[in-house]
Amino acid sequence: MSNSNGAREFPVETDFQKKVRRAGGVTRNQAVGDAEAQIETLKEEFTDWLKDGLTRLQTAIQLAETYPDNAVLIEDAFRSSCELRDIGTTVGYELVTFVANRLCEVLDAMRNGADYDEVLIRCHLDALQLARQDIYKNVSPDQVPDLCDGLRRAAEHSISMAGRIGK
Amino acid sequence: MKNATLNLRDLVILVADPSPYMCMLANSMLRGFGANKAMDARSSIDAIQILTEQKIDILLCDNLLPPHGGLKLTQAIRRNVNNPNRTVPILIMTSDTRESTIKSARDAGANMVVAKPMSPSSLYDRLSWIAFNPRNFVDAPTYFGPDRRFKIEGFPTGVGRRQGDKAIEVSDETGPTLAQDDIDNLFNSSRVG
Repeated sequence: MSNSNGAREFPVETDFQKKVRRAGGVTRNQAVGDAEAQIETLKEEFTDWLKDGLTRLQTAIQLAETYPDNAVLIEDAFRSSCELRDIGTTVGYELVTFVANRLCEVLDAMRNGADYDEVLIRCHLDALQLARQDIYKNVSPDQVPDLCDGLRRAAEHSISMAGRIGK
Repeated sequence: MKNATLNLRDLVILVADPSPYMCMLANSMLRGFGANKAMDARSSIDAIQILTEQKIDILLCDNLLPPHGGLKLTQAIRRNVNNPNRTVPILIMTSDTRESTIKSARDAGANMVVAKPMSPSSLYDRLSWIAFNPRNFVDAPTYFGPDRRFKIEGFPTGVGRRQGDKAIEVSDETGPTLAQDDIDNLFNSSRVG
């Protein structure tokens, strides 16, 4: 079937759709429960991974500080921060995700023209070191409003500076 | 649909994400769902190589996958007429849930977007949605991919439309970020009018 714009529309039944409906599948409750159990086994490794992830981020930040005009280095730091953000909550470290998300916003502002703000970056790295400690392991952002509000204000300031630059 | 089951056994699943740990997490979830054939790619180049060499049943792809990004990879897959995986279901994983990004994913030809950080339930529900909501494909001069026409329900600022769809203002704004429900609405295939 095609129309006057040259567009053609046709049905597609992919192998995924055919196979996934076969008999012998698992129910949502069972699948989610089994997946959570699988993730639980990874949580033990997460402490080590988090330490490595932070080291990678710090290295990327140090390089970005040394060469603040190098967009590739800022990009590397941004990606390292994204990695921490994307994984934190999944393995139960909600505060790590929150702080890393704020750092992503700061670094994204820098990618878009804001000046490199060493104090602001250090403040987020310190907060991440805090968030990865055992005593903050099961702490949600709601439970530490002062820390979260401070980081939020700092990130908003950085973003507004980028906006003023207009890049 | 709520009582439907998913059988992922023997399905070839490609997880494309630059983070080894994220791949490990996604694979753990998929194993929990019953999958036994998950593969990893750390870059769009690796992913393209795998996709040209073998048939994949579904691709889970990070939005920021270096060096090209997940959306460019999606476009490349959809536009290559010789690619045996041209119609493969593509699920974009992203923590950037701004409306503009979600619309870009849809316009690149993605089947669905799942917000990071992912939970097992959010991933399962998106896979289930793709499995049980098949959409026609559209082959047009400027687009190849799942039909993007949809009904807007409960999404206040409006999204892209085609002639014949319900008339509604389209926002040019890039924010705010969307909740997973709003993302799902953007991919709802029901038509209006």
